[in-house]
Amino acid sequence: MKKLLLVALIAIFAITLFAVNYPTKSITLVCPWGAGGGTDRLARFMADELSKELGQPVVVVNKTGGGGAVGHGAGAYARNDGYTITLVTLEIATMHWLGLTPLTYENLDYIAQVNQDPAGLIVKADNEWYSATDLLVDVAQNQGQYLFSGSGAGTIWDLSRIGMLNAVGIVPDAVTWVPTTGAAPSIVELLGGHVDAITCSIPEAYPQIASGDLKALAIMADERDSRFEGVPTLKELGVDWASGTWRGIAVPNSTSPEIKKILEDAVLKIASSDAFVDFMNKNGFGIKVRNAEEFTAFVEEQDSVWKEVLKIGGYLVE
Amino acid sequence: MENILAVFNPNVFLPLLVSMFFGIFVGGIPGLTATMAVALIIPISYYLSPLAGLAMVLGASFTAIFSGDIPATFLRIPGTPASGAATLDGFEMTKKGKGSLALTLDLFCSAIGGTIGIVLLIVVAPPLANLALQFTNYEYFWLGLFGLSMSVVLSKGNVIKGLSAAIIGLLISTIGMDITTGYPRFTFQNIELMSGIEFIPAMIGLFGLSEVLKRIQGGNKSLSRPTINEKIKVSPLKALRIIGKRFFVVVKSAVIGTLIGALPGAGADIAAWVSYGVEKKTSKHPEEFGTGTVDGVIAPTSANNAALGGTWIPALVFGIPGDTITAIVLGAMLMFGIQPGPLIFEESGDLVTGIFTVALVAQVLLIFVGFVGIKAYSQVLKLKTSTVMAGVVIFSMIGSYAIRNSFFDIYVMLIFGIMGFLLEKIDVPLAPMILGIILGPMIEDNLRVGLTKTGGDMSLFFQRPISIVFICLIVFTFTSGYLFKFLKYVFKGKGRNEIKNN
Repeated sequence: MKKLLLVALIAIFAITLFAVNYPTKSITLVCPWGAGGGTDRLARFMADELSKELGQPVVVVNKTGGGGAVGHGAGAYARNDGYTITLVTLEIATMHWLGLTPLTYENLDYIAQVNQDPAGLIVKADNEWYSATDLLVDVAQNQGQYLFSGSGAGTIWDLSRIGMLNAVGIVPDAVTWVPTTGAAPSIVELLGGHVDAITCSIPEAYPQIASGDLKALAIMADERDSRFEGVPTLKELGVDWASGTWRGIAVPNSTSPEIKKILEDAVLKIASSDAFVDFMNKNGFGIKVRNAEEFTAFVEEQDSVWKEVLKIGGYLVE
Repeated sequence: MENILAVFNPNVFLPLLVSMFFGIFVGGIPGLTATMAVALIIPISYYLSPLAGLAMVLGASFTAIFSGDIPATFLRIPGTPASGAATLDGFEMTKKGKGSLALTLDLFCSAIGGTIGIVLLIVVAPPLANLALQFTNYEYFWLGLFGLSMSVVLSKGNVIKGLSAAIIGLLISTIGMDITTGYPRFTFQNIELMSGIEFIPAMIGLFGLSEVLKRIQGGNKSLSRPTINEKIKVSPLKALRIIGKRFFVVVKSAVIGTLIGALPGAGADIAAWVSYGVEKKTSKHPEEFGTGTVDGVIAPTSANNAALGGTWIPALVFGIPGDTITAIVLGAMLMFGIQPGPLIFEESGDLVTGIFTVALVAQVLLIFVGFVGIKAYSQVLKLKTSTVMAGVVIFSMIGSYAIRNSFFDIYVMLIFGIMGFLLEKIDVPLAPMILGIILGPMIEDNLRVGLTKTGGDMSLFFQRPISIVFICLIVFTFTSGYLFKFLKYVFKGKGRNEIKNN
């Protein structure tokens, strides 16, 4: 009898412990970037869809600053009860190597990745470079002559450029990086003829490519993008380099596995919906879905990739 | 024609009207900016047609930029960053009991300036956009320096104090991550300081909180009085008569505003300051500026509303944002399934015609909605000063927090409030300090990035045609006083000789 009671007790205990009732109140989705930008649009879309899936309101809060450090920090150091989730971006794998924050990728647990945008190599349409090979050969022969841009110093588009040059044995200083506040001002610089080439995602420069003012020489991905079939990958040209930005959903580390499972199922379900595909296409976001396990492994790998590239570029702070 | 009439379809017209009242509300509250109004509207606009959605954005942004001038004129607290220059002569007019006249002028000039900006957008967008492409770091550097030289113009009387204020502003602007190297400066390992001192909390503190402190110092007697003493009487005819005589000032300022707005690296706030400075510099009575002169009110307000039209030029022609509002708009266009960029005129020509029409209709509506705004505001300001000032403190805090959801920015606002209060006690003008904070990054980043491009060679800064124009303007700003005196002397001397010879 006593034994039975004990078993019953343990059973009750176990049920209350494992059957999580989540969510029972509204969830905050931290967006580390400003309202109105691309990441913000994705955050708001995901928040809408998640609230439909989970039956509780999901509210986007933009916490910007510190090159993404403020928002990622707010997301990582929040209570790990599943009520604060973060739209995590690639910067989680570069910020701490740049010495911007003690926060690392290990401070977060990864739910799922939903997006990946490879870097493109873009020049003016009337430029004499007809392929990435032309450009790289020219850069190697005329070191210090060309100006490249795409975004700020140490950002993903700068690192994409460094990685590309490094892959063909050219030192990063062979071209001068012109820092700007983002892809849009870099496109202005390129259109005005003030820089020679830019690295940024192809959709960001798509309006100018479509109008025939700019041309994309290559895409830094494993395979061609179905939206830009004519643009070859660097790998096809024999340059072993792929790079780009990505976004996903994360929670503070040691959040309970049950909550993570509920969130992962919800995000993966959204990511397979027509609404999601439609949204991503409209906004020019590349779709790349990785589940929690794959995403975690990917972030870990990214962290070491960028450490290496930042070191080559002279940005690494140890 | 059909596209033009589409604006008057209730599905478009009603959202436009609603958003305009919303813009008046948001712009009139210090800390809530036109950008924020637009960011709040966008999620709603997805449920509407593209034209209705963009009509809401246009309506809210134009009214918010005007409405920011209301607290600037009545209380010396700019409602949006673009209203900084309205705190100068507008507020002085209020002190003389002519606040409602100042705002009526402001409203009409906003609408006229806005119209000129839109007309330029419709007529000469492609050439203006191509001119903007000629601007790179060298030109932006000189433009920034030209703007900063206005701080000499803006400092009443004591130039040394004006320049000191500008330098304090410049020093503040060096805080944060350095754009050329990504190195954090003066951040003391504080993550919040990494992106620098947020401009808007600093501005609210300098103008808003310091004004509150000043009035508290005035003691109980002044605090228990109504906030503004004059009877708010709006007399459109009187205002129009004044504007009729100064129409050239409005046109000149609006053109300057549109040009500056068309540059992707500068916006409505810089446009307002520059046109104020230019107006004072070319005025026959520069000594009247800062004492409540009409020209000092109409120049900046014509420019900032015109600048909004200007920001749409690179946005429509190249698909490149001219400011934070158009950046949000371009994102919204994608959501509507419209690809912004050079092809938009061909692929979505109807929509572009619609945008132009809405923008023009909004200027007419602005006059009516604006009057309601002025009336509503003056009702609030009939309350006791102490009540209004308490409200100002609360909204200053909310506004500062709302910029990026950060408590840190509330402290920034408080610190700048106290700083502004103390600086004004020793007669240091605050306007040049604001200019320093706005233009510091523009000058420094463009100088350094420019030098990076040339490998350290300065000569390119002096060789390009647009740069030379700016250099001449700067030289003129500093020497025009002496130059005019010299010319006067020469001509007077000549005159005397002629008399002698006769």
